[in-house]
Amino acid sequence: MAIHNREAFLDNLAGQLGRSRKIKVESPHYSVHPQERVFQGATQDELVEKLEDQCKVIHTSFMRTDLERLGETLRSVLLNYDVTKVVGASGPRNDETGLSNVYTELQAEGYDIHIWDKNKGQENITFAEQAGAGIVFSDLTLAESGTVALFNDRYNGRSISLLPETFIAIIPKSTLVPRMTQASQLIHEEEKKGNPISSCVSFVTGPSNSADIEMNLIVGVHGPVKATYIIVDDI
Amino acid sequence: MSIKIGHKPYAERIQDGLNNSFMRKAVSSAQGRFRSGRLKAAEELGDWEDWRTLGEEIRSHTMENLDYYLHQLSEQVEKRGGTVFFAETAKEANEYIQEIAKKKQAKKVVKSKSMVTEEIGLNETLEKSGCEVVESDLGEWILQLDEDPPSHIVTPALHKNKEQIRETFRKKKGYTGSDDPVELAAFAREQLRQDFLEADIGVTGCNFAVAESGAITLVTNEGNARMVTSLPDTQISVMGMERIVPTWEDLEVVVSLLTRAAVGQKLTSYITALTGTRLEDEVDGPEDFHLVIVDNGRSKILGTEFQSALHCIRCAACINACPVYRHVGGHSYGSIYPGPIGAVLTPLLDGYEDHKDLPYASTLCAACTEACPVKIPLHEHLIRHREIIVEQEKMTTTSEKIMMKGFAKWASTPAAYKLSTKMARTTLKPWTKDDYIEKGPGPMKGWTEQRDFPAPSKERFRDWYQKREQRSDH
Amino acid sequence: MKVSLFITCLCDTFTPEVGKDTVELLERFGCEVDFPAGQTCCGQPAYNSGYKSESIKGLKQMIKTFEQAEYVVGPSGSCVHMLKEYPKVLADEPEWAERARKLSGKTFELTQFLVDVLKVEDVGSTFTGTATYHPSCHMTRLLGVKDAPRILLENVKGLNLIDLPMKEDCCGFGGTFAVKNSHISGQMVQEKAEHIEETQADYLIGGDMGCVMNMGGRLRRNGQEVKFLHIAQVLNTQ
Repeated sequence: MAIHNREAFLDNLAGQLGRSRKIKVESPHYSVHPQERVFQGATQDELVEKLEDQCKVIHTSFMRTDLERLGETLRSVLLNYDVTKVVGASGPRNDETGLSNVYTELQAEGYDIHIWDKNKGQENITFAEQAGAGIVFSDLTLAESGTVALFNDRYNGRSISLLPETFIAIIPKSTLVPRMTQASQLIHEEEKKGNPISSCVSFVTGPSNSADIEMNLIVGVHGPVKATYIIVDDI
Repeated sequence: MSIKIGHKPYAERIQDGLNNSFMRKAVSSAQGRFRSGRLKAAEELGDWEDWRTLGEEIRSHTMENLDYYLHQLSEQVEKRGGTVFFAETAKEANEYIQEIAKKKQAKKVVKSKSMVTEEIGLNETLEKSGCEVVESDLGEWILQLDEDPPSHIVTPALHKNKEQIRETFRKKKGYTGSDDPVELAAFAREQLRQDFLEADIGVTGCNFAVAESGAITLVTNEGNARMVTSLPDTQISVMGMERIVPTWEDLEVVVSLLTRAAVGQKLTSYITALTGTRLEDEVDGPEDFHLVIVDNGRSKILGTEFQSALHCIRCAACINACPVYRHVGGHSYGSIYPGPIGAVLTPLLDGYEDHKDLPYASTLCAACTEACPVKIPLHEHLIRHREIIVEQEKMTTTSEKIMMKGFAKWASTPAAYKLSTKMARTTLKPWTKDDYIEKGPGPMKGWTEQRDFPAPSKERFRDWYQKREQRSDH
Repeated sequence: MKVSLFITCLCDTFTPEVGKDTVELLERFGCEVDFPAGQTCCGQPAYNSGYKSESIKGLKQMIKTFEQAEYVVGPSGSCVHMLKEYPKVLADEPEWAERARKLSGKTFELTQFLVDVLKVEDVGSTFTGTATYHPSCHMTRLLGVKDAPRILLENVKGLNLIDLPMKEDCCGFGGTFAVKNSHISGQMVQEKAEHIEETQADYLIGGDMGCVMNMGGRLRRNGQEVKFLHIAQVLNTQ
C-alpha cells in the first residue's frame, strides 16, 4: 500500500490547467437529468414486465414464481439444463427464503451441491470451475437492461456467477429498480455515509457473449453460456 | 507495440487498405450494424441529445478538475489496500509493472482488453523479462496469436475473417475444428480457461475509475475481465489518466452512453466495478492490487484547445460512422487509435512527424461529431490540426503552399477573381472535350483520376446578371 | 424584402443557371434581389486545408461586400456554413469578429430561407421525373438544414422522389480532399454512385454544387445516365 509519484504528476496537471492544485471541488450542477425520466413512476409489476421483455434481448430465460414454489421452480430449471453439480451463494437469505431446505432436499436426491464457504478457501473455486450451474441472489435488479447487480462478498464469491456454464439468479421482486441510475444513487449515498463499497460489484446482464469473429454474435464465451432469472414475487 | 503501428508510408497504407476487399466488406457490414444498433439504442432510451449534453458536462467538469479527482481516487484505492503508481511516461509504467512481475516471480500474465497497454507496449516489456503474456479477449487473443495489430478499438480483429482465424488457431494452437464462429469461440474458452486458472498476475485496462470510491470499472461482454480480476492473486489495472469520473452517479451516465454508442446495448453483459484488494473473509479476487495511472503525453493536451479530445470514452462511434474508415480500414491510420478520434489523438500523443497525414484523412463531413456521445467536435479538431501542420509545423509541400497563397490572393482580390473566372474556360480548353475534362493538368489530376470535371461555363453568372441589369436599366 | 445573392464561386463559374434559378425563385416570392459584384469565394478551400491566415483576407473581402445587405442568401449549405464560421475564424480581431457576426446572422441557405424566412413550402413548380436527393453533410450536420429541401421537393408536382440508400453518408467530395486523397474519395463517390443506381432514378438532386459536381462527374465517368441537378433548378421549373 503506497502512492508513488503523485505530487509531481498532479502538480503538472494543475500547471497545464493554468492554476494551482485544487483542494476542494464543489459538486457540479449539470443542466439536464434525462436519467431520472426513464421508467419514472413505474410500479414493481411494470418493472417485472420490462425485465421480462429485456430477457428476450439478452438470451436469458425468465421464470416467475413465489416463495412457496421457489424450490419446485429451481428444480425444474436444473432439470431442464441437465445439471447436477451446483454451486450456490451462502448467507442469511438462503434460510430466509427456504432455499437452504431446497438445497438439502436436492442433495438427498443426488445433486452435488456446494454452498460457498469462506473457510474452505480455494476449494470453493475448484468446485465452481467444475459446477454446471451457479446460483446467486440478486442484490439489485435493473429492469431496463435486464441486469442483476451483485455485491460480491464472503457469501457471494465472484466465481459463482462466473465459472459454471449456467448462471441462475434468484431475483426478489423488491430488488427491482428502473435502471442503473437507482443502483448508482444507492452506492453513491452509501459512499457518502462512509459505508465502503463491496470489493467487487458485478452488474451481470445475461450470459457472456462476443461478436469478435466477423461480427457474429456468439453467446457464451469465457463466462456462463446460459442464464436464467427466477423472479420471486413475494419477497 | 506503441501508438504507431508499422513503418509503411501513408500512401502505401491507404492503398493496402483500399485493395483489401475482404476487410472493406467486413468493415462496411460491421459499420452498418454498429450504426443501426447505436441509433436504435439511442431512440429507445429517448432524450438522446440531453444524454449527450450530460455526458459532455460530466467529462468537461472532470477534465477541468482532473488533479483533484485523481488525488481522491488514489486516496480511496490506498484506503482499500491498493497501491497507486503515477507514471508520466510509458517507460515508467512498464518498468513499474515489470518490477512487480519480478517480485512475484510471475511466469504467466493474463490480460483483458486494454488499449492503453497496447499504447505503452506492455506485452513486449513483460515478455522480455520472461513472462508469458496471454491476451484473453477473443479478438485480442486472435491478434496476439497472429502477431497483428488491432484495427478497431472495440472489435480489434474486425479485419480478419473466420477462415483466417481458423488457420491461425490451427497453426498456433493445434486446432482441428471448423471455421464456425461458435466452435472457434468454444475452443478459445477451453484454451484460455486454463490460462486464467494458472496466471500469477491479471492485467486489466480501465473504462472508468470512480474517484469517490476508488472503483475501477470494466465494461465487457465475454467475461474475461471478470476472470482476470477474480482468479489471479495479483491484479494490475492500467488507466489513461483521463479515464475517470467523480461519482457513481456520473459513472452510470457515461456507461449508459458507452454501451449504447459502442455496441447498441443497454448495458454490456458485464460491468464490473473493482475496489482495492479482496477483503479478508473473501475467497476470490486479488490479494494484491496495483493501479497504474498513465500520462504518456496526455497532460500536454490539458489546457489546450484540444482538451475535449480527452473526453473520449473510447466507444468507437466516430469510427463506425466514418466513411473514410469504411474504405481504408483501421491499419491505414498507422496508429492503434484509428478513425476520426485516432486522427485527432494520435498526433497529440505521438507528434505530427509520423502522423501528419491523418488530419487530412477526412472529408470533414462531421458524421463523427454527430455520432460522438460526449459531443467532441472531432471535425473541428481536425481543421485545427491542419492549421498547426501548415502554420506551425510547416510540414506541407511547396506546391501546396504556392497554390494556397495564390488562392488567398484570388479570393481577396475581386479583380483577380473576375479575371481568372473569365479566363477559366479558355485556359482549360486544351483539355476539354464535350464540355468535360477527363484528364486534367496539375492540381486537377487527382480529381480527374476519379471523375470528370465540368468545363467552366461560357457565360458566368455575373455576366448574365450584369446583362440583365443593363436590360432592365434601359 | 431585399436579398443579396451569395452565388458561390462554383455556381458563378460552372453553373450560372443555378444562380439564375435562384434569382428567379426569390423574385417570385417578392424578394428584391441584388448581386454585390465584389464577392469572391467563401474561403473554405484554404481554411479547411489549414491555411487559416491565408484565408483571412478573403473573408474580410466577403464581409465588406455584404456589409449593406439585409439578407444574404446562397444556393449552398457548405458555403453558407463557412460564412457562419467567420466570427470564429476572426476571433482574434474583435472588430472584424463583430462585423462577421452581423454577416453570419443574416445569411441563409436558399431552401432554409424559403422555408424558414419566407415561409414557403410549396414553390408551385412542376418537374416530371423520378429523382433521388443527396442531403449534403455540411448542409445537414453543420448548418442544421435537414427538412427544408425535403419539404420543398415533396411539394413539386410530377416529381417522384425516391429515398437514397445511406443518404447521410458523405459523397467523398470534402473540398481539397477530393484531390489530396483522391483514391479514397474515388471509392466514396463510387459507393454513392452505386446507391444512386439502386434507386433507378433519372435525376440526382443536390443542394451543394461541390457535391453535385463530384457525384455528377463520377456518374458521367461510369457512363451512368443519371442527370444531376441543383435543387434550385428543380424548384424553378414551371
